[in-house]
Amino acid sequence: MKRLNFKSFVYILGLMFVFSSCDEQLDQVPTVDMSSSIYWKTEADATTALNGLCSDVRYLFDRDYYLDGMGEFVRVRGNSFMNTYGRTGRAYMGNWEIRPVGSMAGFDRMYEFCFGAVNRANYVIENVQKMVEQTTLPDKKKNLETVIGEAKLMRALVYFRLISMWGDVPYIDWRVYKNSEVASLPRTPIETIKDSIISDLTYAYDKLPVKASAIGRMAKPAALALRGKVQLYWGCWNKNGWPELDSFTPDQTKASTAFKAAAADFKSVIQDYSLTLFRNGEPGSCDALGKADVLPNYFYLFLPAANGDPEFLLYFTHGGTGSNQSEELMRDLAGRSLETGQAWVTPRFEIADRYQSTITGDFCDPLIPLDVATVKDARTRLNSAVNPQSYANRDYRMKSTILWDYEMCKGSTGKVDAGWVPYIYKTWGAKVTINGVSYTSYNTDGTNSGYVFRKFVRNYAGQGRSDGDFNWPVIRLADVFLMYAEADNEVNGPQTLAIDLVNKIRHRGNLPALAASKTSDKAAFFSAIEQERIVELAGEGQRSFDLRRWRAIERVWGPALGPGKASYDTYGAQVAKFFENTNELSYQQSYIFKIPQSERDRNPNLTQNKPYR
Amino acid sequence: MTYLRTTNNVIYLLNLTLKFMINFFKKRLISAFSIFFMSCLALSAQSQSFIVEGEVLSQENEPLVGVGITIKNTAQGTTTDANGHYSIKVPDKNAVLVFSFIGFKAREIAVGSQKSIIVKLEDSMVQLDNVVVVGYGTQKKVNVTGSVSSVTVSESLTDRSVANVSSALQGLMPGLAVSQNSGMAGNNGSELLIRGLGTINNSSPLIVVDDMPDVDINRINMNDIESISVLKDASASSVYGSRAANGVILVKTKSGKKNDKTQIDFSGSKGWEKPTNYYDFMDDYPRALTLHQRSAATSPSTNGKNQVFKNGTIDQWMALGMVDPIKYPNTDWWDVITRTGSTENYNLSASGGKDNSNFYASVGYHKQEGLQINNDYERYNARFNADYKLMKNMNLGFRFDGNWSNYVYSYDDGFTGQLNDMQYAIAGIYPYDSERNLYGGVMAYGEDPQAYNALTFYTNVLKKENRQEANTSFYLDWEPIKGLVARVDYNLSYYNQFFKEANIPNRAYNFQTESYGSRWFVSENASITNRVNSGYKTLMNERLNYHKKFNENHEFSAMLVHSTEYWFDRYLMASRENRIHPSLSEIDAALTTTQGTAGNSSAEALSSFIGRINYSAYGKYLLELNLRADGSSKFQAGNRFGYFPSASLGWIFSEEEFVRSLTDDWLTSGKLRVSYGELGNNSGIGRYQQQELLYQNNYIVGGSIANGFIYSKMLNKDLSWESTAVLNLGLDLVYLNGKLSTEFDYYDRLTTGMLQRSQVSLHLTGAYEAAYANLGNLRNRGAEANITWKDKVKDFRYSVNFNVSYNRSRLEKWAEFLDKGSIYVNMPYQYLYSYQDKGLAQTWQETYAATPQSLAPGDVVRKDVNGDGLIDGNDRVASTNNLTDMPTTNYGLNLQMFWKGFDLSMLFQAATGRKDFWINVYNTSNLPKQRYASSYEQLNDTWSWENRDASRPRLGGAATNMSETTLWLDDMSYLRMKNIMLGYTLPKKWTQRLSISSLRVYGSTENIFTLTNYRGLDPEKIGSTVDVYPLTKSFSVGVNVSF
Repeated sequence: MKRLNFKSFVYILGLMFVFSSCDEQLDQVPTVDMSSSIYWKTEADATTALNGLCSDVRYLFDRDYYLDGMGEFVRVRGNSFMNTYGRTGRAYMGNWEIRPVGSMAGFDRMYEFCFGAVNRANYVIENVQKMVEQTTLPDKKKNLETVIGEAKLMRALVYFRLISMWGDVPYIDWRVYKNSEVASLPRTPIETIKDSIISDLTYAYDKLPVKASAIGRMAKPAALALRGKVQLYWGCWNKNGWPELDSFTPDQTKASTAFKAAAADFKSVIQDYSLTLFRNGEPGSCDALGKADVLPNYFYLFLPAANGDPEFLLYFTHGGTGSNQSEELMRDLAGRSLETGQAWVTPRFEIADRYQSTITGDFCDPLIPLDVATVKDARTRLNSAVNPQSYANRDYRMKSTILWDYEMCKGSTGKVDAGWVPYIYKTWGAKVTINGVSYTSYNTDGTNSGYVFRKFVRNYAGQGRSDGDFNWPVIRLADVFLMYAEADNEVNGPQTLAIDLVNKIRHRGNLPALAASKTSDKAAFFSAIEQERIVELAGEGQRSFDLRRWRAIERVWGPALGPGKASYDTYGAQVAKFFENTNELSYQQSYIFKIPQSERDRNPNLTQNKPYR
Repeated sequence: MTYLRTTNNVIYLLNLTLKFMINFFKKRLISAFSIFFMSCLALSAQSQSFIVEGEVLSQENEPLVGVGITIKNTAQGTTTDANGHYSIKVPDKNAVLVFSFIGFKAREIAVGSQKSIIVKLEDSMVQLDNVVVVGYGTQKKVNVTGSVSSVTVSESLTDRSVANVSSALQGLMPGLAVSQNSGMAGNNGSELLIRGLGTINNSSPLIVVDDMPDVDINRINMNDIESISVLKDASASSVYGSRAANGVILVKTKSGKKNDKTQIDFSGSKGWEKPTNYYDFMDDYPRALTLHQRSAATSPSTNGKNQVFKNGTIDQWMALGMVDPIKYPNTDWWDVITRTGSTENYNLSASGGKDNSNFYASVGYHKQEGLQINNDYERYNARFNADYKLMKNMNLGFRFDGNWSNYVYSYDDGFTGQLNDMQYAIAGIYPYDSERNLYGGVMAYGEDPQAYNALTFYTNVLKKENRQEANTSFYLDWEPIKGLVARVDYNLSYYNQFFKEANIPNRAYNFQTESYGSRWFVSENASITNRVNSGYKTLMNERLNYHKKFNENHEFSAMLVHSTEYWFDRYLMASRENRIHPSLSEIDAALTTTQGTAGNSSAEALSSFIGRINYSAYGKYLLELNLRADGSSKFQAGNRFGYFPSASLGWIFSEEEFVRSLTDDWLTSGKLRVSYGELGNNSGIGRYQQQELLYQNNYIVGGSIANGFIYSKMLNKDLSWESTAVLNLGLDLVYLNGKLSTEFDYYDRLTTGMLQRSQVSLHLTGAYEAAYANLGNLRNRGAEANITWKDKVKDFRYSVNFNVSYNRSRLEKWAEFLDKGSIYVNMPYQYLYSYQDKGLAQTWQETYAATPQSLAPGDVVRKDVNGDGLIDGNDRVASTNNLTDMPTTNYGLNLQMFWKGFDLSMLFQAATGRKDFWINVYNTSNLPKQRYASSYEQLNDTWSWENRDASRPRLGGAATNMSETTLWLDDMSYLRMKNIMLGYTLPKKWTQRLSISSLRVYGSTENIFTLTNYRGLDPEKIGSTVDVYPLTKSFSVGVNVSF
């Protein structure tokens, strides 16, 4: 009996051990994400890693229209960033309204995600470099170096943004494994970083193909155009100074060398790669006032149809519905009538006067804002901002860029065409009858100026407001034309090639060539170039960078402690006022961004820019 | 329609199941067993057997039904019938009859030559013989050395009109804090916290039902529960080691009693619900517009030029609103979108047992119609528990619990969702024209076209979620040697949850212009979305128990368990746009042009070894040792296992002669408990967190999606378990022969190495998720008291229980930089940190006198506490005695009375020590320019030159008026009458004729009143700036019938 019981005891113990062997279950393999141990074997691995990098860098740049809120022509009342997990727009988290003054301390997330992209690039560069070292196949090596070239182009682009906004920043060009490697980094002088950027771009220029292998991949002109732009900015900083970055000493010799180098790079882009402007720079046709069946070529340049056009040199791709990689231009720029757009970004009233007459080639009489409720003939009075006739015979780019009262736009709801919606300020989706036809007017709660954007907004249904597939341009050929003109003008004054290039841009708006007075001297030509930049690059996030590198904030807004400048709507109500009684310090803060305080709390070696100390 | 059909089907199915079960048991097993019995009896009938008859009565001379009568040292027995009569055949004159009944002292009576024995049973007051459920077994309460509170579930609990078990636990046990956050049907479960917030990670206790961890306590049928134990200290809960750091709630479900005749119980109740409190939204649109005007007029930069609403608009609305309420509506939205809620509960159960087997089976139905229209929840439960004795030394049994719920709601929080908050429900919108099926939109000139028609969202944007769960378990135990029991448990639980959303397209209509406005509330291409979450969990326990008594005075028991747990979850989603007709809601009824899918799965495993040793000597010295080792698949090999030991000592000092001699006349029993131990927690990290992974990050190349990968995790290879060490001191005293009992506990609980993402440089966070690290230490100290008085005066029996618990936390260590805020080192977790203010400025002079902060009269003047001439974060003052998110002290008072068939119970519950800011989108004094659902308080109680006694700042004043300052700070203490229940059990003699052994009718109310100074919705709710789903008070009536 006793033996039997002992036996059963052994059985039980044995049973327990059998079950104990289930402990292999403790090794659980992830089901959706890939384990990194099986990676970095093939060229395809290098390319997919590059894709991952480009994807992240994209989100730092594809909402550059928000940056125009720091200029004088675009209002950014908020942004469409919704949650922490959304990738798109995350660089603007915590930054709501973006204004010409007082916003430069709110770009901590931009700083953070720029460095995020730098780390992504370093990870790709280091791993692909290892593959290069291990391979003996020349073809494979070449392909891998092309990948490194594009990764370095990305790193250069991101560092260029970092130095344009914050001046000196820590320079990290290695793969970081531990926090301690970066926890106490000091800032690297801007010139050192600039040199590294140039060397990255030179590598990229050497390794990238003449023509990109596919839409979305980069080619030599991208590297060259960016290298030119970096040198143009470097020239400007040295020429105009950057007193808010007190570690930086401007140097006129460096300035002129930089302008020359910039002009040379731009010239090469323009002449060596047989690139042309979109639709050969022809203006196309422009429909009558109040109609939008036929729109100028410039409008189509900013629709997905233009994706892959040679005019885009450096750009980021997007996919449409379901790709999870869409832009949100319609949501940000259009009103509710277009897929319930939120119109976070709208043109200010003041941009309208910038569009010149196709007849005179010069500025028109300023528009007069009038309130239709109190002024009886406001809709018909000469030069009235609410009289559609005041907008006749203007630069084609005006109709392509903004909507004014009684301009038509294609509405859409639930991805279905909702017919024409006439834009009429302060009507918010009211019933209106125009020429005997009944419409529901364009509804937007987002504008306070009397205008909304047409540029970048699709004029057809089928995609939701967050389903955009437009390839966002960071550098366009038109920009290169204007930057060449600017750099060359800095060195040589107005020259024929430069003037021709500016006139090519003007031709796109169906404007006559520049009058002789506009190219009579360096200063006049500079103004003409600035004017073209304002019009041509409206909403592309260039204006505030231009103002800073030209040190033109006082020129635009008036001196410190002065009256500042108000912004109005087409009805004549004042909607905003900037720089009124604003002190010197606030002006200084408009020239440079604030190093994130949260990081400085942790890292005492990270110094602060002068106006924020 | 489909719902009705499903309901019928389910009821039909449940009926069938129940019938089957009852038939099965009644016909087959019972007859089989009775044959077995008969033969046993036949065998024993050889000697001089005779029959004893009699009656069992209570002290009040009421016949007792169902009293168990056994012949000592035999398996024979019977029970009293509905009249309290019994009759039993005894073998001979030496037989001893044992009369036992729950709630009464057992009696043994030697038969002798008596043929008729009338027995009176005495109520048992003394709880010392009670058994409490502890981890992997039961223990006599007297032998428990850890800190365990338990409650036996009775009618005073099951008959309450509470929606779920978690909410029913409020106020019942010291140390268990229960807070309900919403009265939303289907989403009204309460948060349970044992002894404060133990960790900044998941701090909810582990719920174990019949040895199966991770059961959703809110899906169990309250009527199926026999008892609930709460294990609070390390020693009690350490057998659940790695999961038990925040305490354990053990639920034991009912099972049939041996030798019990089959009993059938039915209970049914119906209740009606009203909100405890709600915001008084203004149903007067012209006044609301006037508020906008007043608010905008204060903005100095525009001098009121940008006034959105004109006087004409307002006057017109005021005048025509009285004539044409459709074109100029003044809608009372709260009226439109709420209703009287209701709850219904029906439960039918059968239980019984014979010598070798017992069973319990039940079906239950619970339905709640929420306060919000179209917010419904219903749940079906079926349970079947059975045990069977296979051999003399071998038992097997199984537990089956199936439940099914249907849940309909609009937003997750009920009334509020992203961008569609109640704050946009302006009075100037006409809800619905039923004749033409039109939903009203904005009509006033200047109003934001995006304003909100709440009705359409709560009617056309509905989510339907149904969930099925099956929790099944099986055990087999075997006692090969006396004292040694081997047992295998296998549990399988499965769930399937289906979510469906198919919003019905509709757009805003303007009744003034008789045309559609621009806004689509739900766009025409509204998609159909289906989501399926399903998964299972298995648990395998192999246990060895050994129990031995050495020479009377030494009792030893040991337990060894190996346990493996495995979780698997799967998710699948599909959606399509472009439905062929809005009335159709299945995916196939939509075009394939735009569709979306998602799917994934994940798994986790835990393997544990558990050992426990109990030793008691002379019935007064108790020792318990525990050790648990846990390996989790969440950690990398090498750091996988955590070891969690504990020990406890108990001393029943009242058994000592020298104590007894002093206290014999008043102290019945006294016990001192000490325990110390460690527990683990791995809830802070995700299933695959510790693995090096590449994430998808695609790009578009050549116009189509191209694969992209990024590396975005930094790993901390040394990451290990978070652990909690608990010291517990307890003193249990029973006085006056059980009339009074007290339990006191003190604990000190230190959680070390709290798992948290470490903070890394901003130069990395844009690319990498920071690694997890064992970062902080949090200490909780507290004390608890539980005092019960039970007595009776003639026919009147009553009991009073008072329990109180106090908890204080301190964040003792944080390995990284912490910015100033309500979480700071050496401070209580989430302490109160507030600006101080001098109230509202009444004059310009006051604003000049204050530290400059750009104020005007009517603004809140904040104090410059540190006197540096600036008002900034440094001017906040800490109050360590108050927390913002939870109370420090919880109280419960439970009264029960019985008198001649009447029963009355009352439960009061209170909490103190919480102060929070009353700041949300509904009480702001800084109104937006347009679309805002104002309240009358914003009109009447905001400061203006004419209304200088107002308590709130002026409209449209300084932005800092709504900052977290003392003006908005409320004491969240409250005292709540949770429940009163009055029941009456009809006298036996009336009900017997209907073969009803017991019939009770009752009425009950919940949350009938609340005393609090809080100005907001409810002091029990978590602070939220948008959530307005109130808690509910209810009235219900019901009946319990037993056959």
